[in-house]
Amino acid sequence: MNNRMDYLTFIIAGIRNKPGRNLATIFCFSFIAVNIFSGQFLLAGAEGGVDRGISRMGADQVVVPAQYTVFLQGSGPDNTMAIIKVEPSAYRINTTVMETIGKVGGIAQMSPQLYITSLNSPKLSSARVDIFGIDPETDFTIRPWLQHPLDHPIKPGEIIIGHEINGDLLSQISVSGHAYTIAGRLDPTQSSADNTIFLRMDDAYTLAAVDGIVPASAPRISPGDVNAILIRDLQEENSDSVTAHIRRELLSAYPSRYISVIGRHFTLDPVSQNVQGIPNLLNIISAFVVIAALPLIALIAAMVTHERQREIGLLMSMGAKRNVIFFLVIAESMVLAVVGGIAGVGAGLVAFTVLNTHGFLNSALQVTFAMPTPAETSLMAGLVLLVVISIGSISSLWPAYQSSMMNPYDAIQREGQ
Amino acid sequence: MIKISGLTKSYGTNTSEVRAVDDAYLDVKQGEFILILGRSGSGKSTFLGMLAGLIRPTKGVVRFGGVDISNLSEDKIADLRAKKIGFVFQFSGLIPTITALENVMLPTLFCRDGPGCRSRAVDLLKKVGMSDRAEAYPRTLSSGEMKRVAIARALINEPPLLIADEPTGDLDVDTEYEIMELFRQLNREGTTIVMVTHNPDLVPYATRTYGMNRGKLAEHTGSGAFRTGMKGQTVHQESMDLP
Repeated sequence: MNNRMDYLTFIIAGIRNKPGRNLATIFCFSFIAVNIFSGQFLLAGAEGGVDRGISRMGADQVVVPAQYTVFLQGSGPDNTMAIIKVEPSAYRINTTVMETIGKVGGIAQMSPQLYITSLNSPKLSSARVDIFGIDPETDFTIRPWLQHPLDHPIKPGEIIIGHEINGDLLSQISVSGHAYTIAGRLDPTQSSADNTIFLRMDDAYTLAAVDGIVPASAPRISPGDVNAILIRDLQEENSDSVTAHIRRELLSAYPSRYISVIGRHFTLDPVSQNVQGIPNLLNIISAFVVIAALPLIALIAAMVTHERQREIGLLMSMGAKRNVIFFLVIAESMVLAVVGGIAGVGAGLVAFTVLNTHGFLNSALQVTFAMPTPAETSLMAGLVLLVVISIGSISSLWPAYQSSMMNPYDAIQREGQ
Repeated sequence: MIKISGLTKSYGTNTSEVRAVDDAYLDVKQGEFILILGRSGSGKSTFLGMLAGLIRPTKGVVRFGGVDISNLSEDKIADLRAKKIGFVFQFSGLIPTITALENVMLPTLFCRDGPGCRSRAVDLLKKVGMSDRAEAYPRTLSSGEMKRVAIARALINEPPLLIADEPTGDLDVDTEYEIMELFRQLNREGTTIVMVTHNPDLVPYATRTYGMNRGKLAEHTGSGAFRTGMKGQTVHQESMDLP
């Protein structure tokens, strides 16, 4: 025991005195916490899954040279493939095209890609390996497919490899005498990206300058040359409309047979709308639980203070001021709320981890569930604790006020204990 | 130390008014042991409640060290109780959820806590003969032991005044004797004591004795006579209807 008496010792002693009732109160707080936490956690996980899905959907438009005859895999009206990489081509445009495209409204991101060469290297892959240059600062089609997110864009000498390319992370592979460090590996894309090595654009130009890398039949690659500009529209924009605007802008700046714009032929809206319906439902459920629990907890708090009237009177006779009594009643409720809140959040976290491990969440939500990051989870847990503590405080406000306004003499005379 | 004049506490309306304490006068000097005798319902506990600032008087003045506490704010009265008054009740008044030692230390929460708090509490428990039960919870203590702990608690903030409301009311004769001897010792050490009781056998412990009947306070002048407050009228014990 401490050398001095403190409020916490007194409060905890009071809680321990009635374990059954206080466990019931803690259970109430846990129930509220697990309910709110579950709602937010499910929502964040579902949104995270959808966001990742959307981010992996690649570009909305691709700007390519008009001679680009080998089109995207599965392109055309029936295309449902994500445009994450263009197909190898010797036709190129200059990156200055991006300045023209940038004048069009409704564009969120754009990033260039440059095809260098293709290699037959059994050591790297059983299939032909494409080598592409990307701009790691603006890339939005390759990075979302990384198995493990990078905390920085790839640096000079670093590469990202497709899923089918051999090599461990941080190991080195050599291409025409140039050594590159594998910084990341992609998840399977079911496209030619699985057998592609992605370099930084400056590394790509350096490699392209090596004799024999670019086939003799193809024009030499000069700095500024790219094969395509991949474009992502703003979320609220109509993709067809943006495509038309880009087309119009390019036609006004370049000869009509110089550049083409290819648009995507599928939409993400139905998935988004399904997910958008979830928060409202979860919020309604959470609100209902809070509204139902609040009077129950208030009733328990009132019972506790009623039973402890004599104790409160005694404290007043010892010199406890009214605000101290008010604080003690509120603090006891807050301690119960904190314990219940932590228990509820902990239980929810364990349950979701187990359910997600077995894939139940994906099938229940009908979207890919992405476990929120530790930072997101901590933030949610903190907010839930804040809500539960607020509920604890609010529900004990009236009993605390009544206790603090009690006449000490009357309270002492009562046989409450 | 304490000067009470015209102290009145009445309940009810003008048409059916009950005076629990009726125009009481009392001077308590430092180091006195005042005993107030009276039957149940005579108003003695209400009188003590007003003396301790737990009850607001309807009329009259309670001066504590020259300060009229009847009109002090609740917080100032609470401060006064914390620093200047120790209270011992008829029932144990111990908090059941904490140990004897913690009970003794409890009032320091509202007055002056600090590193010396625990050692002071241990000393007090030793003084009241309870040092070996310091870690015991109240439910494991006898009535007499609880009373001793309650006295130690009342003294933890070293108050100049100890108020005791029927402190031996629920004790057997032997324990009552032990507790009263403890009060006598405290009084000899300088603590002023005001105690109410219904037991006339305790009169020898007091330096002055008062009687209370139907709200009227009267000083015992010896030979079975009582003199009421300021007006100095002398009445016989029978007419005071004391125990």
